[in-house]
Amino acid sequence: MGETNKVLLLKKALERQKKARFQAERILEEKSKQLYDVTRHLQSVNDRLEHILNEKASELDGVFINIIDPYVIMDLEFNVINMNASAKEFLGFDHTIEPLNLSQLVHNDYMEYTAKSIATLLEVGTLKNYRAKIIVGDGTEKFVEVNSSLIYDKERNPIAAQGIIRDITQETETKELLAQQNKELDIIVENSPLGIVLTDQGIIIKTNPRFVQMLGFEEGELIGRHVQEISAPGDIGNSVELIKKMNSGELDNFSIVKNYLRKNGSELMAKTSVNAFKNRQGQVEYQVAMVEDITEQRNLELQKEKLLKELEASNKGLKEYAHIVSHDLKSPLRSISALATWLGEDHEEVLNEDGLNNLQMMQEKIEAMDTLIDGILKYSSIDLASLENNIIDLNEIVNEIREVIFVPDHVRIVILNPLPEICADRTRIYQLFQNIISNAVNHIEADEGLVKISSSESPTHWHFRIEDNGIGIPKEYHDKIFKVFQSLDNQKHSSGIGLSIVQKIVDLYEGEIMLESEVGKGTVFNFTLKKS
Amino acid sequence: MNILFIEDDQIEGMKLQRTVSNLGMRHTIKIAQNGEEALELLQDPHALPDLILLDLNMPRMNGIEFLSRIKNNEAQKYLPTVILTTSMNREDLLECYRIGIAGYVIKPLKYEDYETKLQRVLEYWEVNELVKP
Repeated sequence: MGETNKVLLLKKALERQKKARFQAERILEEKSKQLYDVTRHLQSVNDRLEHILNEKASELDGVFINIIDPYVIMDLEFNVINMNASAKEFLGFDHTIEPLNLSQLVHNDYMEYTAKSIATLLEVGTLKNYRAKIIVGDGTEKFVEVNSSLIYDKERNPIAAQGIIRDITQETETKELLAQQNKELDIIVENSPLGIVLTDQGIIIKTNPRFVQMLGFEEGELIGRHVQEISAPGDIGNSVELIKKMNSGELDNFSIVKNYLRKNGSELMAKTSVNAFKNRQGQVEYQVAMVEDITEQRNLELQKEKLLKELEASNKGLKEYAHIVSHDLKSPLRSISALATWLGEDHEEVLNEDGLNNLQMMQEKIEAMDTLIDGILKYSSIDLASLENNIIDLNEIVNEIREVIFVPDHVRIVILNPLPEICADRTRIYQLFQNIISNAVNHIEADEGLVKISSSESPTHWHFRIEDNGIGIPKEYHDKIFKVFQSLDNQKHSSGIGLSIVQKIVDLYEGEIMLESEVGKGTVFNFTLKKS
Repeated sequence: MNILFIEDDQIEGMKLQRTVSNLGMRHTIKIAQNGEEALELLQDPHALPDLILLDLNMPRMNGIEFLSRIKNNEAQKYLPTVILTTSMNREDLLECYRIGIAGYVIKPLKYEDYETKLQRVLEYWEVNELVKP
């Protein structure tokens, strides 16, 4: 083979290569053109999309401006993406100046509730009536109600949330205040010792536990019943009449004592005060009744009345009894005394000296017994009911006593300071002074007897002092002498009742009596009488 | 004087009789044991006493009832009636004066005192003009 073949072969190879390169260039050119077209297309689509987006965004801005309530869009981490002017003003923040995370605003007490609410929002897509306390920009607390919904992307993935906020601070505060007042009122009503009933046209619509318990019902049993059903038959007419007057506006309230019927049929006496509760038109809407159980009180009153009557009767009986007894005891004494006198007169010659002496002693005993009977009568007639209080001058009383009782020549009764005028029963005060003064005068053995009377006063009581220089009273008898029938000597004029009368009168005038005495030196009676 | 003494106690009768005779007075004394008996003695309007001495506590008809009866009787109501009783009882005293009495005398314990008191009462009524039928 020669050189020529080699050149031919090479020439042909070169030809093939040229051809292939040209083809490749053609394909590349075509593909570039295609790529350029696609790019152009995409660009125009993009432009269109951008335009649409801009349109939507400006539409949304318009909506934003038009929402009066605060409106907020946040991402799912609670960061504010956008909010309207109202929201900025209400929350006191501007997210365009500084980023705002809404979770920072929620009050601590509402954190848990908020977390739950957000979970609901994420799960359901909407959240209605979320209510919470938040702290706004100026630090004040606000109550808000939020209605919110999620915002999704093309693949339906949540990417944000939007919500409208309503300020319910005032509403909530009012509600809370009302609830608080209601609660306080409930405490009062529930714990009231009075039964409380609310009625509408006589139908019971509410009661407190005390009322239910008073009547022996179970809770709730009385609701819906008419008041007449629990009123004693005899008492209905009166209250019906009063309710009528109340409904016609003649009466705003009234108070009556009426009998209620218990569940078991027994009756309960209660003081009932009824007040009308009127609506704005002035019509009676409800009646509120306060019911106070006075059964026991009334029973006590009745018992007291009965006891008083009995006491009065027995007092009167006692007085009459005392008079009858004294009459029946005194009559025979007079007869015996007359007979003894006649015996002495008519048979003087047959009776020797001893006989006449015995008759004389008999007369003395009769006299002592007569004094005793008088004393008992006087003592038993001293009681409060018989007091007739008048202004009396004690100086005059003492002067009268001085003249009436027997005062031996060697005894003087002196008033040391002018005695007061007091308001009291003359007879009793006379008895009081007379008994003490007689007692003093009768027990003086000194050559110069002296009975000194003086007085002073405290804001509530008169104080009196009657002092003698008589024989005195041994200490062991100081308490005894005020007891009835307790006499220390056997003088014929001493019945042992005088100082008991003194004690009783001092008691009647709510005073006290005290004794100072030393045997051989004298006795001082100190006593007080309450000023009236 | 003709005296009607109304008294259930026999010794009281003796006391009055003795007083009248001791003092040498010339009075006729009729005694009735109680109010009923006394009313019977007053039946005849021409034989009325000049003075009645009346005890209050008596059986059957007591003094106050008797007093009321004669004060309601036209023929008897002018009879001066002096109460002669043992005990001082304010209520009786008021009641008697209300009905109408000519005196209220308490019987003293001692007979001597009794005589003195009765002497005064009788002497007083002796000098009084009386209403005669």
